[in-house]
Amino acid sequence: MKLIGVDVGGTFTDLVYTDTDDATVVTHKTPTTPDDPSSGVIAGALELCRRAGVDPAAIDHLLHGTTIATNAVLEHDGAVAGMITTEGYRDIVHIGRHQRPQHYSIMQEIPWQDRPLVRRRHRKTVRERLVAPSGAVMTPLDEEGVRRAARELRDAGVRSVAICFLFSYLDPVHEDRARELVLEEHPDCFVTTSSSISPQFREFERFTTAAMNAFIGPKVRTYVTDLERRMSEAGLGCDLHVMGSNGGAATAKMVSEKPVLTLLSGPAAGVLGGAWSGALSGYENLITFDVGGTSADIGIVVDGTFAEASARDTWIGGYPVLAPMIDIHTIGAGGGSIAHLDAGGAFQVGPRSAGARPGPAAYGHGGDRPTVTDAHVVLGRLDPENFLGGEMALDVAASRRVIEAFAREVGMSTEATAAGVLTVVNANMANAIRSRTVQKGLDPRDFALVAFGGAGPLHAVDVAALLGIPRVIVPAFPGITSAVGLLTTDLKYDAIRTEFQVSDAVDLARLDADFDAMQAQLSAQLAADGVDPSRVRHVRAGDLRYVGQGYELRVPVQPGPVTEATIERLLADFAAAHEAEYGHLFADSPVEIVNIRLTAAGEIAKIGPPALDGGPDLDAAEVRTAPCHFTVDGAVRALPTRFLDRTRLPRGVVITGPAVILQTDTTTVVPPGCAVSADARGNLVIDIGGAT
Amino acid sequence: MSAAHNAVAPEDARAVDPVTVAVIQGALENIAVEMGYRLMRMSYSSIIRESEDFGAGLVDASGRGLAESAQSTPLQSGPIPGYVRGITRLLAERGEEVHPGDVIMHNDAYSGASHGPDVAFMVPVFHRDRLVAWAGTTAHHLDIGALTPGSCGIVDAIDAYAEGLQFRAIKVYERGHRVRPVWQILRDNIRVSDLVVGDMEAQIAAARIGARRFEALVDRYGIETLQRACEAAMDHAERLMRQAIARLPDGEYTATTHIDGYADSEDPSRRELPLVATVRVRGDEMEVDLTGTASQVPDAPINMPLVGTVDIAIWLTIRSVLLDTAVHGHIPVNDGLTRPIRIVAPRGCLANPIFPAPTIARFCPGNQLADTVMKALAQAAPRQVSAGIGNLKVIAFSGLRDEKHWVHMEIFEGSYGGRHGRDGMDAVDTLYANTRNNPIEDIESHLPLRVSRYELREDVCGAGKWRGGLGSIREFEYLDDGGASVEGEGHCFAPWGFDAGGDGKPARLRLRAGGAPLDLPSKVPHMRIARGSRFECAGPAGGGYGPPLERDPARVLDDVLDGIISVATAERDYGVVIGTEGAVDAEATRALRAARGG
Repeated sequence: MKLIGVDVGGTFTDLVYTDTDDATVVTHKTPTTPDDPSSGVIAGALELCRRAGVDPAAIDHLLHGTTIATNAVLEHDGAVAGMITTEGYRDIVHIGRHQRPQHYSIMQEIPWQDRPLVRRRHRKTVRERLVAPSGAVMTPLDEEGVRRAARELRDAGVRSVAICFLFSYLDPVHEDRARELVLEEHPDCFVTTSSSISPQFREFERFTTAAMNAFIGPKVRTYVTDLERRMSEAGLGCDLHVMGSNGGAATAKMVSEKPVLTLLSGPAAGVLGGAWSGALSGYENLITFDVGGTSADIGIVVDGTFAEASARDTWIGGYPVLAPMIDIHTIGAGGGSIAHLDAGGAFQVGPRSAGARPGPAAYGHGGDRPTVTDAHVVLGRLDPENFLGGEMALDVAASRRVIEAFAREVGMSTEATAAGVLTVVNANMANAIRSRTVQKGLDPRDFALVAFGGAGPLHAVDVAALLGIPRVIVPAFPGITSAVGLLTTDLKYDAIRTEFQVSDAVDLARLDADFDAMQAQLSAQLAADGVDPSRVRHVRAGDLRYVGQGYELRVPVQPGPVTEATIERLLADFAAAHEAEYGHLFADSPVEIVNIRLTAAGEIAKIGPPALDGGPDLDAAEVRTAPCHFTVDGAVRALPTRFLDRTRLPRGVVITGPAVILQTDTTTVVPPGCAVSADARGNLVIDIGGAT
Repeated sequence: MSAAHNAVAPEDARAVDPVTVAVIQGALENIAVEMGYRLMRMSYSSIIRESEDFGAGLVDASGRGLAESAQSTPLQSGPIPGYVRGITRLLAERGEEVHPGDVIMHNDAYSGASHGPDVAFMVPVFHRDRLVAWAGTTAHHLDIGALTPGSCGIVDAIDAYAEGLQFRAIKVYERGHRVRPVWQILRDNIRVSDLVVGDMEAQIAAARIGARRFEALVDRYGIETLQRACEAAMDHAERLMRQAIARLPDGEYTATTHIDGYADSEDPSRRELPLVATVRVRGDEMEVDLTGTASQVPDAPINMPLVGTVDIAIWLTIRSVLLDTAVHGHIPVNDGLTRPIRIVAPRGCLANPIFPAPTIARFCPGNQLADTVMKALAQAAPRQVSAGIGNLKVIAFSGLRDEKHWVHMEIFEGSYGGRHGRDGMDAVDTLYANTRNNPIEDIESHLPLRVSRYELREDVCGAGKWRGGLGSIREFEYLDDGGASVEGEGHCFAPWGFDAGGDGKPARLRLRAGGAPLDLPSKVPHMRIARGSRFECAGPAGGGYGPPLERDPARVLDDVLDGIISVATAERDYGVVIGTEGAVDAEATRALRAARGG
């Protein structure tokens, strides 16, 4: 199979081609074309084919990571959207949870009030009402009211409508009927029902998710349609798949209908790419650490499986989103993060970033604030001649100037200040990782850190050391890990049902029937996508809590018919998960099965291990030896440090730090006391404190 | 830097480098966040987990706050240092010592607690036999054994004893051993004790984690470095606050607002009571003097504990106005922030009551006090405040189902006044409260209640160049016989308009129980409610900011199109004429505004 992965980021579009038959891997990087992203994708894919010497028509699959949906939300650039909701509840999406985002602020913004996805004038109400727990109809749907609302919205120029009824997760009957009626009155309308996007309780979050889908839907649909058309015009006649936030690919059609499922497309691919790279070297428990210019993305992989975020923790642009997402924690810390003293004199790094323009002072584009990258330059860790493979010269004098100025402000030496900048940013990164591991009962010492992105491998070893993580892995292509991740995924769909069943009276038959129904639904979906049933895997899970609690924990449900034994196992697993996550369990309390979930994964072709050759010996890899500053026993000292060319590193030879390993897309720093080697699968593996 | 600052910055605080201070500051905040995270997610009652009416924090051995959890409500985390000081004093008075493995329960409103239902569990941290810090959590419990079900709406408690159990620095674990009799007393004297005791255990588990993490920090950095870094972090916060105060013009700024008190009482000393705040700014220091505030009500629980409620209300407001997160970014919360602020409250006034005056229903008066302080600050920092806020209300719903109690407390939101350059926030919790509502789909799935309406209150708002926020309309229907009690404010007095902005609108509460609808005052002791009865709560609308005739007509039109105000209101309040085709009639608007002198 011949596969292409295309990840469109804010600055660059990363592409990777592989032929699964002979393990060929070809990569390519090209500037993103923000005004017309699909043209950049096509041009990049054609160039990649040219470099790989393959006919575009021979490509079997193109997998795509895109920020189109995310940017529409973040830039608030979407459709004029409308909503039809239950009479009496017009402002659920405006009132929200009646909580302000900030405790201590008078002048704050409330995203859902100040930047509504659907303005109040376009929120229409109709008579209808279901009631819990059965979903019985208390008030029948006012069909004429729906028609009237649809006509009013149409006449007001609304092109996209979200249908959001209370308790629709119990029975979508009213939402589905309203959808038909809206389409009869307004056939070109993009219609979203809240139950089709996320059939689970919590009305503000569900309605907001549906409203967001309505807001970004037309734009994403246009983009995907456009891209498919241009692909076929360019001779790329293959299927287009788009990466979802859930870490699986979806068909172009699916994404056109539910774009809200792709909000974390790029970062999700990064976690997958990191997980894949770690697995090549035999590591199944991984912390993925993707650091760019402005932010660091952190993902957790346990036993080869990435963690999914709890439904209450998923936000985009300040809005809650109830959609399955890989658990990715982002903090404002990267190469461009600016170091400063605040008004009270505290030493801070970030979250403000110099971004790509002007960027760090070292870039020579007029940046005049001290950044993390400038600190690396001053300490000698970035090679001015070999940054980005020599494509960009670093202005060492400019870095020194801004760090010296900051050092005078701080009252410390230049080197100590530069080291201090790194200490603070590394501590921030370590705290972020701690919040995803230690605070959830995971011990970082059981993990390896996979570092990628332009700046990840610069910080990885220091951050790992802070957390007691014994090992750091730097993949072969750290700058395009997300694009590689695209080629490691399956087609993946999720189904969910809210159950609210209590452990002392579980209705086994109902659970069984619900699982079967979900399985039938997803199987049909994958069959429609052309996946052979023998290549489909189903994974069951439940969201459980003690009766009375408000936060659920995800626990696996055993496959097969639901029996007493299934429930017994489920409850035991829940108790164990509760104790692991919170450090406590309530032995005698009844448990509530809040939601059940089913994930169906349809296997598709994947990238294999890259076939990479190393150099003959260390001497061939050595670029030069130069002084580089490290903190040793609390003091910053210059040590003679070997700078090595990664592409020429011999396989399996252990190199002790200090060392700096150069490659086109990143720089890996190996401090004293650590040992690094390039392994047979293309990864750099660093043992923290492993030097003997 | 002022002389005053130099005086409070000990020499040894300078001995630790700023990088280490930054790293330790981050670590302390991380610990507080972890405690809060665990407590919120483990807890049973919606008042903790949904309303986030809980706190978590680290305090040094002398009772100075070091860090608080970023979730949680300010009225819970803020008082934690005061709890520690109260516990320390009580234990010293009784000659008791603290040992490793102890867990101390405390809720005495006259020794630092915010009020009785907010029970703290504090875990001491030792380093080589020396007490070096406390890790603790507070949470609002569903019930602590007061005269009627629930812990809100106990508006007829006549003294501190009627409010429920009083815990004055009680060890519930001693040297690691569970003190069983205490737990039995809790089980026997608290309604819905399964939930309450479960939540208490969650609090202890979270506090212990915090203590463990603090110990690890001591191991990593050494106690001297750690303590110096804490001093430096507190000095830093103090500098930020002093700089902010110094930016205000020196002077004396006084404001008065009123609480309803017991609006249906015939006794004038129980209703329409003044709250007075005088803010004196001198250089980089500030005094908040509450002289002029009404005398305490000796037998009704609207008195506000000075430590735990009044101080928090004042600090919260000053901090939100002068060091607004939206303007200044993240600011560490610790003892340093409060050092430049002195609070004066005459003994025996509503804001400094004398034991055993009851205090359990101090929530809304305290928030009104916060609003009064903002009104005083408005004279010194007019572009950093909002006009008057709409205050809150809590209804405690309860009943018996299968011979067991159910209790559900719901906080009814207020709204903010208009701000310089921005309209007020609609239908949110205000000032020192920042809780969350419960999803309708959760309430109706678990309780015999139906939320029959939840939307914005239309055509009722404080007019202004920047209008006040809108209130909400929220209705609750009983699907079974039960009971309710009400604890609120703001039925009698409209939120204040600012700088020629119009006043907002008071809240209203109506009960429909067959027959004629009954308008209720803001405080109602426990009453029985029959199945089918319905509460209709209309939330208050915040005050307007600036002259309404200066409001951009396009914004007035937006409000009309959004159904927030009527065409008639646009003309009456704003002098904006909306034509039949739904557009501003510019000429008629100019003429009308000119005729009104706008």
